[in-house]
Amino acid sequence: MAAVRNGITLRGLCKEYRLGRTSVHALRNVNLEIASGSFACVAGPSGSGKTTLLNMIGLIDTPTSGTVHVAGEDIQGLPEKLRTRYRSRTLGFIFQSFNLLPVLDVFENVHLPLILHRELSPEEKKSRVMEMVEAVGLADHVRHKPFELSGGQRQRVAIARALVTHPRIVLADEPTANLDSHTGAEVLDLMVRINAERGTMFIFSSHDPRVMERAARVIHLHDGEIEAA
Amino acid sequence: MERLALCLRNLGRHAWRTRIILLIALLGAFLTFLFENLIEDISRKQSDMFGRAFSGHFLVLDREIETKNTFGYYFYEPEQMMSPGQVQSVRAYLAGLPEVSGAQERIVFSGLYYGEEDAERGFRGVAMDMEEFSRNFTDMYYAKGLALQGGEQGACAPSWYEYEKDKNLVVGKSYVFLLPNRDGEFVDREVLAKGGIDYRTMPKDAVGLSSILFDLAGYRAMLGYSEPVASEVVGFLKDARTSARVLPQIQAWLDSHAPRLKVVSWREYAPIFAEIVLGFDVAMKAVETILLAICILLVVKLTTFSIIERYSEIGTLRAIGFSRRDITLQFTLEGFLAIAAGAAAGFLLAAGLIALLHVTGVQNHTTFWSYMIGDGFRPSFHSFKVLRVVGIFLAVAVLAPLFPAIQGGRLSILRTLEKR
Repeated sequence: MAAVRNGITLRGLCKEYRLGRTSVHALRNVNLEIASGSFACVAGPSGSGKTTLLNMIGLIDTPTSGTVHVAGEDIQGLPEKLRTRYRSRTLGFIFQSFNLLPVLDVFENVHLPLILHRELSPEEKKSRVMEMVEAVGLADHVRHKPFELSGGQRQRVAIARALVTHPRIVLADEPTANLDSHTGAEVLDLMVRINAERGTMFIFSSHDPRVMERAARVIHLHDGEIEAA
Repeated sequence: MERLALCLRNLGRHAWRTRIILLIALLGAFLTFLFENLIEDISRKQSDMFGRAFSGHFLVLDREIETKNTFGYYFYEPEQMMSPGQVQSVRAYLAGLPEVSGAQERIVFSGLYYGEEDAERGFRGVAMDMEEFSRNFTDMYYAKGLALQGGEQGACAPSWYEYEKDKNLVVGKSYVFLLPNRDGEFVDREVLAKGGIDYRTMPKDAVGLSSILFDLAGYRAMLGYSEPVASEVVGFLKDARTSARVLPQIQAWLDSHAPRLKVVSWREYAPIFAEIVLGFDVAMKAVETILLAICILLVVKLTTFSIIERYSEIGTLRAIGFSRRDITLQFTLEGFLAIAAGAAAGFLLAAGLIALLHVTGVQNHTTFWSYMIGDGFRPSFHSFKVLRVVGIFLAVAVLAPLFPAIQGGRLSILRTLEKR
């Protein structure tokens, strides 16, 4: 019960986009509970609302109606300052196309979110970055720029960047979509390991059955509605 | 420091854009810094020249003669000439004033001559005794310190210069001029050029003048005056600062001894010079303003372009916890660093040039610049101008990238992440 209380609760979540005169329902009355420490996959075909769902939890988008509670707190009702703080302290993001800053090397990319953590000393920040870089197996590549890395390595950098702030929740939007199956499996292995070792909640989206197989829980979305969770 | 490092990396990454901003800021700062200091030097030089020329000199002449902005070449009726008695008493009075360094009578006139194409041209002249001509007076007004050349007492038309054609009267040759007689009628006079001063440096065309200089005795004789009449007595003060006290004193004496006469400060001519200085200043300021406006517009444009190009980066930064303020700060800091670096280089270049000009001095041989700044000057740094230009560029460096940076900070995370 504590895991559920500290987890994520979605109630009556709806998202409607207007495209000219027509409206598109990206999410329809989504009710869902995800316990803390979960390793959950949001599955469904393209346009089913996977990304929209992750964006709602990640405060990147706002619902038309409904609520998103994280550890009992209505995060969508937070003022802008606290939403920003929530994104920097509670969440980690992994993007389908990695979204690394090309001008920065591996160390600097992973270090990027820590710029906002003024409570940490430079030594602590460095130690955290190195810990994460080692955890994702890129200790030998710290001074490499993203263009010098393979797709799998880039995604591992993105995972390290998402985890370096020690977030409770990591949201990953199709993290293996841009990777070949072997590399994708390696990235998933890494996520599974971190989930097991650190208890970090992972919510990731995919429409790949091989990825879904690795998830402890699969939430099926279809046309914005939960088919099975 | 971490943010600063990130900014520097981004500036390095977008090298061409950074270089353009650097170059614009460099050029803007260079020219603004240079102009500001040069304008100050020119203004000071002019103030000094015109201050000496106009504040320290005065005319005693008929009350009815309008002298304002005539540069001393006013028009008068024959009956407005000062009689020999008036000339003598005024000179005697002025000679007794300790504040007055000298005074002499002269006749101001207008004449006509025929140019190479037989076209009639007007000119204005002054006939005065060159031997007594004060060097202080000539410094500014005619020959800028050049000595009389081959002058001969009683000679007429010693020298003449027409700016447009660089034409001089040849000493030893005769020329026909239409000159006013004592009744103000123009009559042909054949004049033999015997020598005189070269006053080529006086830009007559710039003030709409062409001039011919006669010695006073020669001119009187030519016009048939047997008595020593004059159209005015010109005097000079030892110290121009005493004019406010001394000129009313002279006027009081004139009121009681020669009520038909008045004393006129040469300051009356000053307004037109003030306008010239103001016009010059405005022109330089306009160039500066245009440069600054271009600089600001280009920085705004380039920062906006940078933001559009880095949409996805903004989205990523926002998603990982950067606030709107952080994004605004990031882009403002990048713009600031580029402008500040360019401006600093521009300041250094301008400072180097000013230092060099200070050593070599700014020489001039053209009539216009001679008119504006005399025989040259040595530019120097003026602390309040330095502070002003630095202040302007600091403001530009902060404000120019600020608006697009704020716009960048306001972008929706969703929109920026969708743009790839």
